[in-house]
Amino acid sequence: MFLKSIRLESLYVLGILIVTMSLLSPYFLSISNFLNILLATSVIGILAIGSTFVISSAGLDLSVGSVMGLAGVAGAVVMNQLELNWIFGILACIIAGGIAGFFNGQLVTRAKIPAFIVTLGMLGVARGAALLLCDGKPIYGLSNEFLFLGQGRPFGIPFPVIIFIVVALITHYILASTKFGKHTLVIGDNQMAAVAMGINVNRHKVKLYAFSGGLAGLAGMIFTSRVNAGDPTAGLNYELTAITAAIIGGTNLFGGKGSIIGTFIGALIMGILQNGLNLLAVQSYYQRMAIGAVLILAVWFDQINRQKN
Amino acid sequence: MELFMRFLIVSLTFISIFFSSTVFGKGHLTYGVLMKTLSNPFWGAMEEGVRDGSKEAGVAYYLQAVESDQAAEPQLNVCMTMLERKPDVMITAAINSTILLPCLKKANESGIPVVDLDGNLDHDIAKKAGVSIDFTIGSDNEAAGAQGADYVAKVLGRNASGPVLVIEGLSGNITGQKRARGFANRIKKIAPGLKVVASLPGDWDRMKAANITNDILTRHPNLKAIFAANDGMALGAVEAAYSAGKGNDIIIVGVDGNSDAVKSIKSGRLNASVAQLPYLVGKRAVIGATASLNGLKMAKFQFVDTLVLTKDVIENNTHPLMKFVK
Repeated sequence: MFLKSIRLESLYVLGILIVTMSLLSPYFLSISNFLNILLATSVIGILAIGSTFVISSAGLDLSVGSVMGLAGVAGAVVMNQLELNWIFGILACIIAGGIAGFFNGQLVTRAKIPAFIVTLGMLGVARGAALLLCDGKPIYGLSNEFLFLGQGRPFGIPFPVIIFIVVALITHYILASTKFGKHTLVIGDNQMAAVAMGINVNRHKVKLYAFSGGLAGLAGMIFTSRVNAGDPTAGLNYELTAITAAIIGGTNLFGGKGSIIGTFIGALIMGILQNGLNLLAVQSYYQRMAIGAVLILAVWFDQINRQKN
Repeated sequence: MELFMRFLIVSLTFISIFFSSTVFGKGHLTYGVLMKTLSNPFWGAMEEGVRDGSKEAGVAYYLQAVESDQAAEPQLNVCMTMLERKPDVMITAAINSTILLPCLKKANESGIPVVDLDGNLDHDIAKKAGVSIDFTIGSDNEAAGAQGADYVAKVLGRNASGPVLVIEGLSGNITGQKRARGFANRIKKIAPGLKVVASLPGDWDRMKAANITNDILTRHPNLKAIFAANDGMALGAVEAAYSAGKGNDIIIVGVDGNSDAVKSIKSGRLNASVAQLPYLVGKRAVIGATASLNGLKMAKFQFVDTLVLTKDVIENNTHPLMKFVK
């Protein structure tokens, strides 16, 4: 089930990166560093999973970075200002994200506004709402129970990594093996065909955007817990990184094709690159160039492969 | 396309209504104050200082800002609009060293002096662009970095040795670079055993700072100190260090002195923060501009002190600058 959906190209890139980094830095190949990479990738990875679902259906969600900022602040407000239990904090994060995504979906399907515009608008609205909710000031200092979600290490494994992997496994199953996943890909491939098949396309799309928003909320929760603050500027420009990870992982930007395991690898490639460049203490300007170059390289491999077939 | 344009116009109108605030005073003089953003306690304190300063100087002002401290071009547009109201002085905190130059040149041409708030302009570049800056007022960022180094050397001892991590701001941002450079230069001079093993951009992002901390701890498990170019990143580094079980072994210093940092210092997590005093910067900018209008010759660079906040400094609360820490 897994191997079939992994694209070889992204695995090549992953392999080349791992070998190169191992040769360049003796600190790279270790379990603790690998956990580090997964920890650093978890937030972007979860956003990228949401993006994979939306992009596979020929949609786009540019709002996930802002929505995760809003969700994190919402959770912090619920816990620190309303003084509710940490469980409500978690729920607030996910629900706030889900609601923002639900609005995205309604506007895309009912008002028939292009997804690009709707989610670009939501990018602004959600960021503004996050700033408004906390008056522009980060809400610092959360309860220990909540901090465990981002900072705890059961069996030595950072908790966000566990969340990330569980989410990836479940969503992989949903996209690859359920009716919901198949419908998502059919809609992305050919919407007319999906209608002809009797799929309620609008309802399905609303679910997809709400799902993407909910995952952004989960990512916001992890961010908030990791840095011990509901930060209204959290997730600035993360949407682009998330989309990049999904594309490197083989999601077709025009819909119809996408897999979570691919996105997982895509996110991992970016995480490994960042980690390796940090270990080597490479100057920031080169870091940006390297990340851009890897995106182009990965998609190029994909093109070559497709032309061959 | 038409829909998009309409959307753009409507949203820009909302943004400008939302982020502009006008305050009328009693004086004859009216200053235009252009900040980066108000969604940040730093600029909030600066605004308070501007308000009190204008009361003291007996002038009026109107203040505007843009939606984020990265909205460079929108800031130029706001600047141009502000000129239409013919202020007597333009006090601007430019988002980068070049974006406002066309606007400031126009201001000069209409005889409006320009005050550089918080040191965002480069005097040489401005001169080449035909902009004359009346004076620059702000924190001395290199000195702030050096103060951070002094603190680290004091705690660890000048003979200490081991790896040190520097987390810079947004890559290419001059403020972050100055702080990082100030720290690195001073630590090399006063505690040569402490080696800066990496100086990496955290992009002012807490989580990126946390990730960098984890990465460097992998390579240098005996890390001695971390200097971050602002408090948000320092706090991210603190959380990462504690989560890795090394919170008590690493001296972590930030810059800004914001309320979160103060809380963290009080609870014994963050070790220190080099506090800027934006309230004083805002106040002195207005008072200085008024003095300059009245013919007083101002030095080109007016530096406002920065203060190293530690648990002791906060709890004793006897330092004369403490009352300006907001």
